[in-house]
Amino acid sequence: MLEIKNLTASINNRDILKGLNISIKPGELHAIMGPNGSGKSTLANVLSGKNGYKISGEIRYEGKDLKEMSVDKRAQKGIFLAFQYPIEIPGVNTNNFLKTSLNKVRKARGEKEIDTMSFLKLLKEKSSELGIDEKMMSRQLNLGFSGGEKKKNEILQMKILKPNFVILDETDSGLDIDALKIVANGVNSYRDKKKSFLVITHYQRLLDYIKPDFVHVLSDGKIVKSGCMELAEELEKKGYNKIK
Amino acid sequence: MTNSFQVNSKEISKIKTTSKREKDFRIKNLNFFNKNGFPNKRHEDWKFSDLREIIYKNFKKLNTKNTSVKVKKINFIKDFDHNYVAIVNGELHSSNFKFEDKNKIKIKIFKNKNFSQENESNPLICLNHALANKGYHLEIKDNYKFKKTVIIYNLFTKDLKDSILNSRNKIKVGKNSELHTIDFIINESKHKFVNNVYENVALANNAVYKNICIQKDKSQGYFHKFSKNQLLSKSKYSTFIFPSGLRFNKLDLEFNLEGKDSECNLQSASFLNKDDHQEIKTKMNHLAPNCKSYQRVKNVLSSDGKGVYQGKIYVKNIAQKTDAYQLSKAMILSDNSEFDSKPELEIYADDVKCSHGSTSGKVDEDAIHYLMTRGLDKKESTKLLINGFLNEVIEMIKSNSVKNFVKGKLKKQIYGY
Repeated sequence: MLEIKNLTASINNRDILKGLNISIKPGELHAIMGPNGSGKSTLANVLSGKNGYKISGEIRYEGKDLKEMSVDKRAQKGIFLAFQYPIEIPGVNTNNFLKTSLNKVRKARGEKEIDTMSFLKLLKEKSSELGIDEKMMSRQLNLGFSGGEKKKNEILQMKILKPNFVILDETDSGLDIDALKIVANGVNSYRDKKKSFLVITHYQRLLDYIKPDFVHVLSDGKIVKSGCMELAEELEKKGYNKIK
Repeated sequence: MTNSFQVNSKEISKIKTTSKREKDFRIKNLNFFNKNGFPNKRHEDWKFSDLREIIYKNFKKLNTKNTSVKVKKINFIKDFDHNYVAIVNGELHSSNFKFEDKNKIKIKIFKNKNFSQENESNPLICLNHALANKGYHLEIKDNYKFKKTVIIYNLFTKDLKDSILNSRNKIKVGKNSELHTIDFIINESKHKFVNNVYENVALANNAVYKNICIQKDKSQGYFHKFSKNQLLSKSKYSTFIFPSGLRFNKLDLEFNLEGKDSECNLQSASFLNKDDHQEIKTKMNHLAPNCKSYQRVKNVLSSDGKGVYQGKIYVKNIAQKTDAYQLSKAMILSDNSEFDSKPELEIYADDVKCSHGSTSGKVDEDAIHYLMTRGLDKKESTKLLINGFLNEVIEMIKSNSVKNFVKGKLKKQIYGY
């Protein structure tokens, strides 16, 4: 699904990623843990195609060179990033935006555009699964949403757009324990043999609910250790400094 | 008008005048215009909009001839029930108040009776004083609330070419009465022409007036409007201006809050593209205690578009407890576009709340990125943000049918981006 070889990324002449390697197969869920400033969010940004980074190395998604793909094309090809800080966009209605977005993705997949009635039905179903008040959907996008509402809205978008490869960038930050469970359930119910996940987090807490197949430790722009769930538990006990 | 855009005084003898006073008034104003010509950037009020340069660049001549035109059909809006007044090339054409008590409404052709000797320094107002001989006068008697909106269809016909139209309108809303209007500008001319309007709105005690101004399509019009508005005690004036769609548009709006507890609310949202040039100039005169005014002007500028907002708040010494607010926000999409903002506060009372703010900036790249990660391309994302930026103003319109109508029109303007 995703093959990253010797990836480096710098911004404003500061090197952030310094030769990162990772390989994610269909159906796998990989967790990336690391201290502040290790390059976790940069990795998410680079994969989403964000402007401003100088990049070298290889990123292949379903065999194709990802670096050549524009941000919107990546989304249309099934890459989804759940943002650490979802952007507030005044004046843009959440409902309308989601429908436009879904139709762009459907069109790219060669599917028919969804009509308003079917869309509202789908929206109602998916938001109730996540315990989202439907009224939230007629508000302006993320504007005045609480931290939890913003994160739930990201997971809702994931469930509606049905991507193949999902990046969760610190989705657990800012969530209380109830919201965390709901979000984790949302992710778990979406897992299957074909879909892959890259979960970026500081803490083991999220991984208690979303069980990873692999855990990697990112430090100073490189993956310094890889393992299974036990690695996450070890990190929680000993801290990042002891693992290198 | 001759090549140097002077108006021959013979034009005045062609206008039916009722008195020597009127004729003298017209001639005096014409002389002022001929002496000064179209205003240029040396006039403080025109420093961001050099009209002389714009006229010289786009016109070789201008006809002042007032030809009456027969119009067969006006395409009325079907989105919601409404009364209407139809104006063709500035002239009162027809009206229909089928939803109202007709005894409470007077509509007639405007006749000027005020030949004040006040010296006017705006050459365009002088030109209007000299030549205007058409327009409408709408009067609402006391204690009458309109049941439906009045749409004022401002139709400009196909045959307008290198013309300059001068018209004068007046709206008077009586005590405890309420009127809602929509100025809807339909421009069928594919050619360039100038429209110069002088407008008076007078609100009696406790009157409510709400107005929306919008263009149907993009056009080649060069518009100037001077509007003088009087607010008496406890009256409320609200205006939503969606002025884009013209090549040049200057709205010079003066509000006189003469009665205590009166309120004025002005909001505007524009999308300026290509060579569009638009200026909103306001003068909010707080002349009595305890009045409120609120102004919010939002502009999106693309390619060579130019926008100007000059907003002045004046608070007279007796106007204590004034609450005045002014905000300008501009979103700039291109390095070639320009936005000029000049806020002014002149305050002579000591117990007032006056604030103003002005921001202009580029489109939020992080927001574009967020939208693109959801599959929208750059252009679609930008359009969505433009729409959202301007929608904040439209959302303040209370009636849903009117709101949707305005949204549709504005979307069409942005669609061309």
